[in-house]
Amino acid sequence: MALLDSVSIAILLGAILVLAGILSSLVALRFGAPLLLVFLFLGMLAGENGPGGLRFNDVHSTYLVGSVALALILFDGGLRTRFQSIRAVLAPAASLATIGVLVTALITAPVARYMLGIGWTESLLIGAVVASTDAAAVFLLVHARGLRLRPRVGATLEVESGTNDPLAVFLTLVLVELLMRGESSIGHVLVQFARESVLGTIIGVAGGRIVVMALNRVALPQGLHAPFVTTSALVVFGLAQVFHASGFLAVYLAGIVIGNRPTRAHNTVVVFLDAATWLAQIVMFVLLGLLVWPARLADSLWPSLAVAAVLMLIARPVAVFLCLSPFRFPLREKLFISWVGLRGAVGIFLASIPLLVGLPNAHLYFDIAFVVVIVSLLVQGWTLAPSARRLHVALPRADRPPQRVELDLPGQLQQQLVGYTVRSNSLFLKRKVIPSWSKPTLVIRNERILAAAEADPVEAGDYIYLLAPPEKAQALDRFFADMPPQPPPDSRLLGDFFLAGDVTLGALADIYGVTVEESERALSLSDYFDVHLDHPPRPGDALPLGDIRLVAHRIGGGRVNVVALRLDEEEVAAAPRSRGEAVRAALRRVWAGLTG
Amino acid sequence: MTITDLVAPEAILSSLKVNAKKQVLQEIAARAAELTGLNERSIFEVLLQRERLGTTAVGYGIAIPHGKLPKLDRMFGLFARLDRPVDFEAMDGQPVDLVFLLLAPEGAGADHLKALARVARLLRDQEIAKKLRASRDAQAIYAVLALPSATAA
Repeated sequence: MALLDSVSIAILLGAILVLAGILSSLVALRFGAPLLLVFLFLGMLAGENGPGGLRFNDVHSTYLVGSVALALILFDGGLRTRFQSIRAVLAPAASLATIGVLVTALITAPVARYMLGIGWTESLLIGAVVASTDAAAVFLLVHARGLRLRPRVGATLEVESGTNDPLAVFLTLVLVELLMRGESSIGHVLVQFARESVLGTIIGVAGGRIVVMALNRVALPQGLHAPFVTTSALVVFGLAQVFHASGFLAVYLAGIVIGNRPTRAHNTVVVFLDAATWLAQIVMFVLLGLLVWPARLADSLWPSLAVAAVLMLIARPVAVFLCLSPFRFPLREKLFISWVGLRGAVGIFLASIPLLVGLPNAHLYFDIAFVVVIVSLLVQGWTLAPSARRLHVALPRADRPPQRVELDLPGQLQQQLVGYTVRSNSLFLKRKVIPSWSKPTLVIRNERILAAAEADPVEAGDYIYLLAPPEKAQALDRFFADMPPQPPPDSRLLGDFFLAGDVTLGALADIYGVTVEESERALSLSDYFDVHLDHPPRPGDALPLGDIRLVAHRIGGGRVNVVALRLDEEEVAAAPRSRGEAVRAALRRVWAGLTG
Repeated sequence: MTITDLVAPEAILSSLKVNAKKQVLQEIAARAAELTGLNERSIFEVLLQRERLGTTAVGYGIAIPHGKLPKLDRMFGLFARLDRPVDFEAMDGQPVDLVFLLLAPEGAGADHLKALARVARLLRDQEIAKKLRASRDAQAIYAVLALPSATAA
């Protein structure tokens, strides 16, 4: 009976801890503290050195739970990634995820060696353990309330964090093996690495496709789609791991494959995984917090802090600047990406591998990784939003998308039902237009359900449901966003063409035949304004470029995002608008007649 | 040079049935290819390439897609009125129903810019735009484009 009681007590305590974690999110949001840190501290509080006094040193279950949690988090991250949005950052992110991890580990290692007086292999192990940025931390903190990063920066960080774990895991495993066995050949290591990544990619992509096919072919009972996808993800993960391929890479890629193909019940899967990921994060961080022995942390506190400082202030920036140098990122974006090298559960999780296999000094790696992660979450996590604003990589929050309800329609995949509240200042209500690919189907007014034809005309305050292809649903947001009443368009701007700020002068020169100095061809329009204006750009600031004038139209984050192209000022001015101008124009004509 | 120097009467489409921006570009490229004898695909590519830099919708339901083609021997204009407005990613958010295509030969330089400015100025005139929208057929549209107010200045 005592055994049964202990199980019951374990369930009770575990559930209470997770519940406390969920409730603590309220506190964390209020104070802006990184949530993950709160979960970690909760675990520490409950642990043997805290008031909770729970004794927990089951590395084995922690490793198991951690693996499952990380797999789910990576899968969820992949599932939400639109391939469209990451295509542009694949190269920089891949470079960060490979060379970046190596460089970070190599720069961090000497510090660990010097501070701790350990061997090279051991210090490299410490470097490898803390080398990868954490997907959970990045996904969560980058999407924190109110923060919207420039798409390229956000996407780079996300893809990097999703794809750099495999290399860090691999390095850690190789080094652990080296420490256990004593020696290994370079060739063996390279072969192993190739096998991990290639096989991981194959299993991930193939697994993702099979899941998509199964999901769309097999008629599962309602409600089982989401668990099916989730467990399939774990199968992909497990399968890859069994074959000594990278399960983390496989599961992330499977997520991307599944998320970017039309599937049945896509929305329920996303909602289910959202819940599962939250739970996984809480459980994992609380467990890791429980596992640490805070009193022991003090023993290696200074070396740990030194490692953390070097990692954050030297290794990461060097790695980022090195890896991104071929990719034309502005300085402040590189600075921001350097600063957001968030470490998280992956580091602690990797550091538990030496514990698991019983390496000498294993607790040292674990303690150092733990402190590094806490420092990173505390310092970088807390300052993430302010630094994003300081470095102008955050977008203004004003254009929040309207709330959108998406409903799957069983029986087919081409269309889903998308619902919006009709707002009085929406484009839809003002102009009565919607894209041709969407079709109003239902209107709910005063709790009554009307067919679209009955409800005509739609009024403000109605709820409208439209049929639309799932991949385009997001584009509907624009038509239902509550726009502030817009001032009538500046008549001077009418007739201008608009260009995105990242268009290069060279591209412009090629189309319009304006002359651009060879050295300036590679500059983007935003750069051109940065270079030639001596003050921060304001809307309406104009710069000449050959025969055309570039006018700053929309400013975001201190840079010109949209540029109006004004043609041939002289001729435009010749069309008189005011009486004064008309007189002046007449005088000019007279003068021209006299002199010509 | 007047607008009707750029647009021939047969280069006017009075009610083009299209559903999306890309389709607009495809259709006008196809018609332009017929009239100029150039390759339809290459015209479409040039227009698409320009749209990638930023929309050529200029506001108030008007778009002026344009580009340069090496094989063209003179400036070529084509006007299309759309059967129903389509989203053109305009800065003012308004869907577009009047489209003026302007293709210039390689090396047209300043002439290209002048022609673009002229077309933009013409279509920005609210009276003209109203008349273009109200015109019954291609002939009537051509007459509006040939109006003195459209050709003056």
